Amino acid sequence: MLWRAILGRFGISLVTLWVVSILIFIGTNLLPGDVAQIILGQMATPESTAALRAKLGLDKPPIQQYLVWLQNVAMGDLGISKAGLGAGLGTPIVEMLGPRVYNTARLTLLVAGIAIPVSLFLGLIAAMHPGTRLDRSITFATLNLISVPDFLVATALVLIFAVGLGWLPSIVFLRGDETGWVLIKTLAMPILTLVILVSSQIIRMTRATVLNVMSSPYIEMAILKGVPRKRIILRHALFNAVGPIVNVIALNLAWLVGGVVVVEQIFSYPGLAKLMIEAVLMRDMPLVQACAMIFCATYIVLIFIADIASILSNPRLRHPK
Amino acid sequence: MKEVKTFQQMYRDGHVNRREFLAAMGALGITATTAGSLLSSASALAASPTRGGSVIFASNLHGPDDTLDPILGTSTIDYTRANCMYNGLIQVWDDMSLHPELAEEWSVNDNATQYTFKIRKGVEFHGGGELTAKDVVYSMNRHIASGSPSSIKSFFSNVIEWRALDNYTVKLNLSSPDADMPVKLTQPQAKIVKANTHNWWEGGTGPYTLDSFQAGVKSEHSRNNNYWRDTGQWLDGMEITAITDPDARLNALLAGSVDMATLMNARHIKKIEAAGKSVLSIPSGLYGGICCLKNTAPGDNDDLVQGFRYIQDRERIVRKFLRGQGTVGNDHPINVSYGADHCHELPQIPYDPDKAKYHLNKSGYSEAELYVAPVIGFIEEACLLMQANLKKIGFNLKLKRVPTDGYWGAVWMKEPLNVVTWNMRPTANAMMAIQFGPNGNWNDTFWNSDRMGVLLKDSLAETDPGKRHEMHCEMQKLVSTQSGMVIPAHTNIIDGHNPQVQGFSNCPLGQFGGNGWAEFIWKTG
Amino acid sequence: MSESQQETGPSTQFEELPDAPPKRKIRLSWPGKIGVSVLIFWAIIVAIGPMIAPYHEADILDEELFIVPGSDEMYPDTDFQPPSKIVLLGSDYLGRDTLSRILFGARTTIGISFLATLLAYLIGVTLGIAAAVGSKALDMSLSRVNDALLSIPSIMFALVLIAALDSPGIFWLIIIAGFIYAASVFRIARSLGQEVIVSDFVEAAKVRGEGLWWIITREVLPNIAMPLATDFGLRFVWVILFISSLSFLGLGVQPPMSDWGSMVKENLSGLVYGSVAPLMPALAIATLTISVNMIVDDISAATGGKLAKRMIS
Repeated sequence: MLWRAILGRFGISLVTLWVVSILIFIGTNLLPGDVAQIILGQMATPESTAALRAKLGLDKPPIQQYLVWLQNVAMGDLGISKAGLGAGLGTPIVEMLGPRVYNTARLTLLVAGIAIPVSLFLGLIAAMHPGTRLDRSITFATLNLISVPDFLVATALVLIFAVGLGWLPSIVFLRGDETGWVLIKTLAMPILTLVILVSSQIIRMTRATVLNVMSSPYIEMAILKGVPRKRIILRHALFNAVGPIVNVIALNLAWLVGGVVVVEQIFSYPGLAKLMIEAVLMRDMPLVQACAMIFCATYIVLIFIADIASILSNPRLRHPK
Repeated sequence: MKEVKTFQQMYRDGHVNRREFLAAMGALGITATTAGSLLSSASALAASPTRGGSVIFASNLHGPDDTLDPILGTSTIDYTRANCMYNGLIQVWDDMSLHPELAEEWSVNDNATQYTFKIRKGVEFHGGGELTAKDVVYSMNRHIASGSPSSIKSFFSNVIEWRALDNYTVKLNLSSPDADMPVKLTQPQAKIVKANTHNWWEGGTGPYTLDSFQAGVKSEHSRNNNYWRDTGQWLDGMEITAITDPDARLNALLAGSVDMATLMNARHIKKIEAAGKSVLSIPSGLYGGICCLKNTAPGDNDDLVQGFRYIQDRERIVRKFLRGQGTVGNDHPINVSYGADHCHELPQIPYDPDKAKYHLNKSGYSEAELYVAPVIGFIEEACLLMQANLKKIGFNLKLKRVPTDGYWGAVWMKEPLNVVTWNMRPTANAMMAIQFGPNGNWNDTFWNSDRMGVLLKDSLAETDPGKRHEMHCEMQKLVSTQSGMVIPAHTNIIDGHNPQVQGFSNCPLGQFGGNGWAEFIWKTG
Repeated sequence: MSESQQETGPSTQFEELPDAPPKRKIRLSWPGKIGVSVLIFWAIIVAIGPMIAPYHEADILDEELFIVPGSDEMYPDTDFQPPSKIVLLGSDYLGRDTLSRILFGARTTIGISFLATLLAYLIGVTLGIAAAVGSKALDMSLSRVNDALLSIPSIMFALVLIAALDSPGIFWLIIIAGFIYAASVFRIARSLGQEVIVSDFVEAAKVRGEGLWWIITREVLPNIAMPLATDFGLRFVWVILFISSLSFLGLGVQPPMSDWGSMVKENLSGLVYGSVAPLMPALAIATLTISVNMIVDDISAATGGKLAKRMIS
């Protein structure tokens, strides 16, 4: 039954991914402007536009274009970006994505590595002592941080740590060979900003979920029986709260991969989100499609993992009625 | 040199103007570029160039379509890279005079239909191989090939052929006279590349070679040790990138994360200097304006355009939004930076809400929609001021804010009312011809005047300075009264840099001295 | 995946009894009471803000206003001025009155976000309940499309839609935000609806022979109303922040209209000068969002705190 449940989730993920591919294809075709005309820019003539359209396969019916695209994507061929295409030298998108994916993955992992333990710890501390001064200050601080626009948080940090104190660089310049301490220092500003933004969410959710489990009848029973509160939280409540918490973490990780446009923009960080926004503004459709597919696939994979975690963490879920 | 110092003092005290200063430097045997840097920075009084070090340059815009192919260049970052990696046939100095670069010398026949270029010998490409006439012909033919993506293709519509006479001589045949052809060859798109190359990573003959390049991220360059001329090449290398967000760019400069940050807003000059950074503010013909398309409503209504002219509070725009780092516009592109061709006799259009109201009432319009993008520092602010002032006289100007990216393809020359910015061109004639030549490719107000066409052609051939000035005056009057162009202000080219970086030229044709700083600047300590 | 979370969600494991309508009366704690007062305050401002504003939101103040008596400075600075009698909350980067812009902007900011959230609810709840009570095939197809929509980062989604509509006006901004947030509302509405539909009292109603419409209006909707109302509050707050992110990217409302998010963005450089211009609108956003959260906390406590885990989206 366990395997069937997991397999079922897997099937659902695949179907979702397929639906995503259709939506992305439709979405990018909604964008105004003819790709060929955009590439040719000022120099577009009816003849040259038609020729380029044929070359790019844009003269075929949409369904055929979709199938060709889907097949290519499945084979790992994400197409050619318009970068340099005007000179007959398009850049393979796979090549363009490589460093961006690496940068995004690196930042995401560093942020997650700091934010997840810190926020689980703080969230649990707050849940263990609800109503205390500690709980109230944690709740109040996180509430404030999720209540202001993210670019204000980022700019304020820049002004404090880069412009004011001069401790950290205000934007990210990666040479590619940084390791250890140098790397941490180079990435410190975006890491700091993202850790603050992500932690606020996870802390609030951890606290709320654990408190929620605490109010369930069986925990109340345990409390009545006189089991120490700390033990209840760590041995029972936490285990049962794993599902929702993993889910929150998964959603935040997905956000770190695809939703951090503003932070990447402010710190000039060459990640995927910034690439996609540039691609949209320049109507580089193949690139938009590739980025969107990566974001959606990441989300689907992360949620799949979260689902599995929540199934495994709860014996009763292995045997749904 | 004592004379230099004296002249610098005189310049700063206003006893000599820029042109006179440069002329004096020329007489002392100082190159225009060095003279420009002497002129621009007060610290140059004591500074002497030092070798070594590298700089990080932050431009204002970049993305996946960054290019190393010179003919595709459209932005400051592309031009800057082109100047690092390539050379042109001819170069323009700060005083707009033309000088040999890869062309050792050139000559022209009497009616300006045939040019002959002597190509410099012993110039090596980065990837090896000597520059020959073949490379020049190949490079220039790329602009005229059918379907060419060159952004200055229209400059060469009169070219019949480029022909190599021998290994070091190139002949150009034109279908119509063109005295401005050498000026056109100074454009960053007209750089010389190696024949039959498709690998732009290899570079050309320029002062710096390419180490790495990621479109929309950055490129790294290091000194070309085999460069054909001695211009300093003080820096070991440089990193060229862009920070799109203006606030982030400012903060990066203030925090010292970059050495050079382009396009600073005039209002931040005090702050930048207070933070111990330097500002390079070069008077220029660069301007921001409003295009009213004359071939469609509402721009085809002369009264509407006239109303828009009178509602411009030009003094306040220069005073407040440009902090004095610019000059009031008079609705034509030729400001004082163009020297003798500027028509000082033309009366300045005042801020006059009553006249504006009169004309707008007469036009029959009570509202209009203007497309705005922050294509240049002050334009959005100027449009907001215009909107607020129009509101006071009962005219509803709606602003439609759109992103800069894609603006030139999607909005400019398409929407009836839009904003525009034009860089200065080396000559008044080139500027007027490119924007107001009848039926020109970039005639962005679609105002076609036969008289304008005649004047453009005749003034190129006119040798009498008085008559020539009269012709330019007539052109400027035509543009400022009949075209659909409203130009509230010309702005200085304002960049910010780390004070340790010195030696910038004063060329007003682009950012940081015409984008050609790479081989001339140095970094102290 | 919404389905997995719903069917196997941890909420079902400890509860032997079906969800009953929240009978407990909601008692507001003192932070909750403050929250309600702040919301009432902003509601009043939405209604009368432009009338009590000292200037119009588009007015670029004359330099004469700022001339210090006795000073010979004819053209004093008007931008990023500190609070004074002329500009009670200081002036912005163009020399406009920050207070007036906040008062005008309340209508834009709260209006857009409220209408967008309302739209999201209209779409999300309708389809969510349809999925909950409808056939398995309907549920399956709606849920898969919804999952797919959820997987696209909302800011990217908005970016593409806005580009597709060629920088549209406020009307489309509301439609876009409403459409994007409808996906998360759908998920919650469906999950709540399904819980109710399998409950004993609905089974009883079915046995009695009540029609589907009766069950939806009499049993399902009343039972999910309270959790949805709470979610509405949080969703509303997220839409405000979402629109302000769009403003950062230059895709928000059109100038000179003021919305709080774009006010923060356009005055961001004022931070360097210690100007309050970017902080005031940020404070306005924060008062609103914190108030909503405080009220939600109270309601959440009253309804057994089951809300938190549903908010995970």
